Amino acid sequence: MQDQLKAIREHVTEELKNIQDSNALEQLRVRVLGKKGDLTAILRGMGKLPAEERPKMGQIVNETREKLEAAIDEAAAVLRAREKEYRLKKEAIDVTLPGVTRVAGSLHPMNIVLRDLLDIFTGMGFEAVEGPEIEYDHYNFELLNLPKNHPARDAQDTFYVDDNVVLRTHTSPVQARVMTTRKPPIRIVSPGRVYRADEVDATHSPVFHQIEGLVIDENISIGDLKGTLDTFAERLYGKGIATRFRPSFFPFTEPSAEVDLTCAACGGKGCRTCKGTGWIEVLGAGMVNPKVLDMCGIDSKKYSGFAFGMGIERLTLLKYNVPDLRYLYENDLRFLKQFR
Amino acid sequence: MKVPMKWLKEYAEINLSAEEYASRMVMAGNGVEGIDNTGSLFDNVVVGHVLSCEDIEGTHLHLCKVDAGQEEPLQVVCGAPNVHEGAWVCVALDGAHLPGGVKIKKGKLRGHVSEGMLCSGPELDVPAGLYPHCGEEGIILLKEEYKPGTDVKEVFHLGDDVIDFEVLANRPDCLSVWGLARESAAVLDSHCVMPEIAVQETEGIGRFEDYARIAVEDDELCPRYCARVIKNVKIGPSPMWMREYLYGAGVRPINNIVDITNFVMLETGHPMHAFDLSRVRDHTIVVRRAHENEPLTTLDGKEYTLTPDMLVISDAERATGLAGIMGGEESEIVEGTTDVLFECAAFDRTNNRLTSRALGIRTESSGRFEKGVCVRTTMEALERACMLVNMLECGDVVPGAFDHYPNPQNPQVIDAEVDRINRRISCSLSGGEMADILERLGFEVEVSGNELSCTVPEWRMDFESDADISEEVLRLYGYDRIPSTLMTGVTMAGRRSERQTLLDAVKNSLIGMGFYEALNFSFISPKWIAALNLPEDDPRTRFISIRNPLGEDTSVMRTTLVPSMLNTLALNINRGNAEGRLFEAAPVFAEGKTETTPATEKLSLCLGLYGEKADFYALRDVVLCLLGAFGVKASVSAGGDGYYHPGRRAVLAADGVEIARVGEIHPDIAEAFDIEGRVYLAEIDLWKLPELARPVPEVQPLPRFPAVTRDIALVMDEAVEVGPVMDLIARAGGKLIEDVRLFDIYRDIKLGPNRKSVAFALSFRAADRTLTDAEISAAMEKILTACANEFGAALRS
Repeated sequence: MQDQLKAIREHVTEELKNIQDSNALEQLRVRVLGKKGDLTAILRGMGKLPAEERPKMGQIVNETREKLEAAIDEAAAVLRAREKEYRLKKEAIDVTLPGVTRVAGSLHPMNIVLRDLLDIFTGMGFEAVEGPEIEYDHYNFELLNLPKNHPARDAQDTFYVDDNVVLRTHTSPVQARVMTTRKPPIRIVSPGRVYRADEVDATHSPVFHQIEGLVIDENISIGDLKGTLDTFAERLYGKGIATRFRPSFFPFTEPSAEVDLTCAACGGKGCRTCKGTGWIEVLGAGMVNPKVLDMCGIDSKKYSGFAFGMGIERLTLLKYNVPDLRYLYENDLRFLKQFR
Repeated sequence: MKVPMKWLKEYAEINLSAEEYASRMVMAGNGVEGIDNTGSLFDNVVVGHVLSCEDIEGTHLHLCKVDAGQEEPLQVVCGAPNVHEGAWVCVALDGAHLPGGVKIKKGKLRGHVSEGMLCSGPELDVPAGLYPHCGEEGIILLKEEYKPGTDVKEVFHLGDDVIDFEVLANRPDCLSVWGLARESAAVLDSHCVMPEIAVQETEGIGRFEDYARIAVEDDELCPRYCARVIKNVKIGPSPMWMREYLYGAGVRPINNIVDITNFVMLETGHPMHAFDLSRVRDHTIVVRRAHENEPLTTLDGKEYTLTPDMLVISDAERATGLAGIMGGEESEIVEGTTDVLFECAAFDRTNNRLTSRALGIRTESSGRFEKGVCVRTTMEALERACMLVNMLECGDVVPGAFDHYPNPQNPQVIDAEVDRINRRISCSLSGGEMADILERLGFEVEVSGNELSCTVPEWRMDFESDADISEEVLRLYGYDRIPSTLMTGVTMAGRRSERQTLLDAVKNSLIGMGFYEALNFSFISPKWIAALNLPEDDPRTRFISIRNPLGEDTSVMRTTLVPSMLNTLALNINRGNAEGRLFEAAPVFAEGKTETTPATEKLSLCLGLYGEKADFYALRDVVLCLLGAFGVKASVSAGGDGYYHPGRRAVLAADGVEIARVGEIHPDIAEAFDIEGRVYLAEIDLWKLPELARPVPEVQPLPRFPAVTRDIALVMDEAVEVGPVMDLIARAGGKLIEDVRLFDIYRDIKLGPNRKSVAFALSFRAADRTLTDAEISAAMEKILTACANEFGAALRS
């Protein structure tokens, strides 16, 4: 019996040397250690042994079993490791191979700029308000001190639907709507699409976008307007960007100003973008004309306010150095994809 | 408004370079478009004296020796027929620049060295109006003698700086040299002296009334009409200084009388008109409204039909000119004119503009009346013209003048408060300081404590309230001195509008799914709507039209975003962009007037898709996914507009409300939009989304019991749609069913003709127990029965 055990041990040792895959190893385990295996057969044969030999023999058989099990387990571990290593090696891929492309789209550049502007102004406590694009003459002109037959209302500039309805020429009618329905303090911005009868060229479009701001409260002064726009300019283009006010004329405001910002391209030193002046004309602004306040039912003796407005197309062209405004409305994907 | 610096300096003290002066004016609100120099046309052209002139044989050329003020005479080859020995000429020297980018270089012509060029008027771009001999054939022959080598710019009076002012709409007074001279002196805080108006009338030739009769029939449209008569007029060129100023201001000099009217218009801002009195029938001028359908032939020979809304200048018989817009041909000043009537009038600004617009005539004069011409200074302008007649000695001023001014305007007085102005413009000026500034501008100011009483100068027409006074003070005090302060008062919460918040969320989703945002015009061509082949009664065919569109392509407000998107896709396809995923979110417009809004505007969204990987399902699932992001579970059913492929279109609805449409574009429609290949479109009614959107519901506990899965294959007719079958399975499965997933569609003739086998993976689960076989079997039984009854679907054996 001991010979038999020895033979099994030798057989297993010999086999383990040759076994290369885990299937063969498993077969060996079953053949030797399984229910019908060699070792089990020996255990069964123990019944024939004298009773006093049985414990000793049992112990030997069990020791053999443990050793064999350990040997097979060890071999199995080695094999598994080797096999995993092989599999990983085999599974290597060319990671540079082009795959199924998934690209994130993007906002239109103008709306990227608008998002920035809204972030800045809402952060400064302005509420964004919108209004209709087809608008009553009353809101678009009359309440803004542009009475009938004012030259600025010439059909060259304004698209008419009928005598009293226009495509809004600015987003100011939103301000008129707010002023006639709310009580001060008012602090709003009104972004949106506006229309002027300009032929399409590199710098003009009959459809364009504006954002306008309006603040009405007690004791609002032109210094507050400058402070607000200084803050805006710095948030938009970074530290060192200042504003420059030049007198101008808008029927809606008095005093009125054209507002230039330090040219962000050259930091004010003068370059091609700013035609050497160091300044870029970006905004129109001013103190709300008291006549406008009165027309909108706000007491101009008690309240004062300022308003400002700018074209989003212009800011977009400046920000991305777009050479031609027509790019913005053509929707060529080769252009749109440049904004990620 | 172009103004030569020299002309301004006649009246205002300006001791700055043109650039410095311009920048000071700009910072005070007087925009400058540019600074030009009348001498920038050419350089290195000098006066020369032709010493000898010989023909070059066999050619039309001449070989000239010219004394150009240099040590040695120059040899110049010249082809002009009028060159001759002893002539005084303009020599472009070696290296000279001429208009049009021409550069003169020493060279050889027919074997003869030519060291320069003798110039003609057109070659120097100098008009005959400025220097009469420039209009002659051939080279310019100067009629006077000069020192050879003299710069010809001196001869032609060129070299002055010309400022091109961009005058603001509220400052028509600055559309004149006098206005700008006053403004300059105010801005620079220097002096300004206007010429004293004094006319020398010639005695013994009768009075105005003996020469002309004038009747103004409409005081409203013609608040003032002034006229004077000049007798014994000698038409001829005006003096060099006047020609120089006119030329610098961009006006062509013509003859002394016409030049005087233009000169006065530029100097005072008042358009003037000169009539040849001998050709005014009955020497009668009537200012009246036109008769209905009255015909008129204007100076430029064009014929118009007038209406009684228009003001005309008429003689005893008929209308000869449009008041303030254009004169008549008959009474034009000509070479032989001897008696002249000068008109200087004020016409109603609005009426003038409406007439000029209605007839499509815009002239310098109409432009000025439209912007505003000062009524009060009308006579002064007329007198200035007569002074110039005296000065030029080109006629006799007949004593007496006509001045119809029934309602003289009083000086305007505006009261203001010092502290209120200071608050508005963030300053702390005293009343006296404000008065100083205003007086520089020509105001008369009385200060009494906090009160200012400001009399507006007669030439200013832009004052309404104390806000205007505050602007004038700030303008001259300096916009650059405005402090930067921060608003004080109630803190306010800034936020985006609900619409913007919705749009941001929608766009973020679409961008994540690889779509690019497009922007199109809101107005389109009605043809593009027609191309969609919508039924006649479809509301989208009832669009709002623009009365004065730029063209047909931009003439109606879009009722749908589809045509714009199809054009966008067509452009990208035709430019070779291999695949496209685009969206546009914008309002669509429809009639629907209310008290507060003149039209209906509904926020809409359109998606466009094409390319190798594009198909119906891809786009449909983008829409489902987008809606899902708002908690909207939409059901899909076949159908949709006729511009979609009849077999590849679907309508998406949620809570019984149609919210979106998706489909492949019908090949006929694609063709109409110049699209080759298949494109897919989806339309989402964004305006409905806020109503349908569901907030994230309360969180459900995670399941503690396992799910049981069953796969089934159902054989059904090919025509049966899978979507409704899945809906039915989910319904029939009751509470226990957790998920229904399609995993295979199999077709084989063995299944029967036009039959398909559709395989689903079902998953069942209960929250409180592990499901038993019996429960699953009961549920499966219900599902199979329902499918058999509803769709004739049988379990595949």
